[in-house]
Amino acid sequence: MADGLAIELRAVTKQYKRDEFTVPVLESLDLVVREGEFLALMGPSGSGKTTLLNLIAGLDYASSGEVIVHGQDLGRLSEGQITRWRANNVGFIFQLYNLIPVLTAFENVELPLLLTNLNRKRRRENVMTALRAVGLSEREDHYPRQLSGGQEQRVAIARAIVTDPYLLVADEPTGDLDRKSAEEILNLLEQLNSEFDKTIIMVTHDPIAAQKAHRLLHLDKGQLIGDVVQVPRLGAAS
Amino acid sequence: MTVIGTAAVVACSCTLFGMVEGLRHAQKISGDPLDLIILRPGADTETTSGFDRIKADELATLDGIARDENGVLLFAKEQLSIPVVERSNGSRANIIVRGVSPASAKLRPKFTIVEGRDFEPSKGECIVSKTLAKRFNGANLGGILRCGDKESYRVVGLFTAGGSAAESEVWVDIKDLGRNNQQESSVNCVQLRAAGTEELVKLKTTIENDTRFKLAAKRESDYFAAQTRSSTFLQFFGGLIAVFLTFGAMFAAANTMYSAVSTRTREIGTMRALGFGRMDVLICFLGESIILCAMGGALGLLATLPLTALSFGTLNFDTFTETTVNFRLGPTVMIVAVAMTAAMGILGGLFPAIRAVRLQVISALREV
Repeated sequence: MADGLAIELRAVTKQYKRDEFTVPVLESLDLVVREGEFLALMGPSGSGKTTLLNLIAGLDYASSGEVIVHGQDLGRLSEGQITRWRANNVGFIFQLYNLIPVLTAFENVELPLLLTNLNRKRRRENVMTALRAVGLSEREDHYPRQLSGGQEQRVAIARAIVTDPYLLVADEPTGDLDRKSAEEILNLLEQLNSEFDKTIIMVTHDPIAAQKAHRLLHLDKGQLIGDVVQVPRLGAAS
Repeated sequence: MTVIGTAAVVACSCTLFGMVEGLRHAQKISGDPLDLIILRPGADTETTSGFDRIKADELATLDGIARDENGVLLFAKEQLSIPVVERSNGSRANIIVRGVSPASAKLRPKFTIVEGRDFEPSKGECIVSKTLAKRFNGANLGGILRCGDKESYRVVGLFTAGGSAAESEVWVDIKDLGRNNQQESSVNCVQLRAAGTEELVKLKTTIENDTRFKLAAKRESDYFAAQTRSSTFLQFFGGLIAVFLTFGAMFAAANTMYSAVSTRTREIGTMRALGFGRMDVLICFLGESIILCAMGGALGLLATLPLTALSFGTLNFDTFTETTVNFRLGPTVMIVAVAMTAAMGILGGLFPAIRAVRLQVISALREV
């Protein structure tokens, strides 16, 4: 299992401008996440969880400080560069799955591969591997409306892992699911972390979901107020 | 909605331009480069022209007039009458009844009697353009065509003339027409074909300058080119309407695409998060708009195809007679349709696509 630094945040602040007001969201935040960690971010609404996730995923820039992911200082990348960086390094799992309704499960999973140089045959192989990994290879021709919520989220996970990204970010991945489906999704994330060594950052409100993570961070008013190692990873230097 | 709107606009515009194209085609093919039309000096049209029949007979003696394969002189005295005739729908319109000579048919390109036979002089017979026959009462084969209160002719044949101006006319023997209108001593014009280019120049000079004649000799191609006021009128208003319709359709396309951007904001955010760039999103939305409009354009063109079998009547502002024109879906109309479709697709889709491109990924992902 790899044991290098996956993510390093140094004195990161994030502020939003609302008319003439400046609204601070994250304040001088430091964080280190090691490769292969499964990290849960918790905190009340407005605490800055999703903002932190967006900064780590390269969807937004920090107002100050450094966000270094997989050795890359994201603040130094232009918008075009960070877009390509996301395509190569990050898999996204959203609360509402965010599948394209007019595309089949196969086509949805294939989407990120359209940005690569893979030929059609290789793309098909990769998509089917990803769908098998989430247990939905039989549903490749189904449209999102023909799938249950849990199945939709599994397709979304297949889309997130199809490019074999360095980092998986999940924003409330079980927030729209019933308990049974949520359990399946969490087991799948746990499996991706343990078997494929994926670094996962998950924002959640659900304490049961958070228990699956190795490490639990609590945010409040833009500051880290808790950092608990729940289940130490094998070989991890805590 | 965009497809249907675009289809309707393209269909309307193609119909208008198809009419104009038909009219222009009729005028374009009516003139042979070696044909001359002899008119009274100062007369712009055959209907306002007129001179002595004796002078016309003297013209036939000039050298340089072509003959057909049987040695018959390609020279025709012609007289026109513009009676009021009842249309099939009960309304009335002026049409051209042309008193012709034996060579008249040979001076019209692709003139063919397609049903019945040619008229026989002094029997009150006529032949009628096939397209005109459908539009006027009594103009069908075997019918009695009543022209005003006094004239009537039995229709013994239907002809086509390759879509030329002759397809808006009724033809009778020139002596019959002169007798019916008490104008046996005059003609409206003479049509002739020169044996060659040099002969044409000589004939034109003689006819215009020789003191025996002092008439206007115009090349038929020039004569018909000047008769474009009808098509200019139609073209102007057709173009104006087409421009307004295109703008309307552009707004419809833009509206559809704005709506698509609005309802797919989260999809756009997702695509951007997955690594698709702004240019990918622009191409995606612009492409969709163009495809939708192309489908509409193709549908619109298909809808106008059946019109090619139709003919319509329009007022000729030079003769104030009804001109029968066949709808033509020629290259011009096709180009207009493609240009309109492209304008609707590109301009209608551009601004919504730009809006999609400018969306911030994070705010787009928050959309429900």
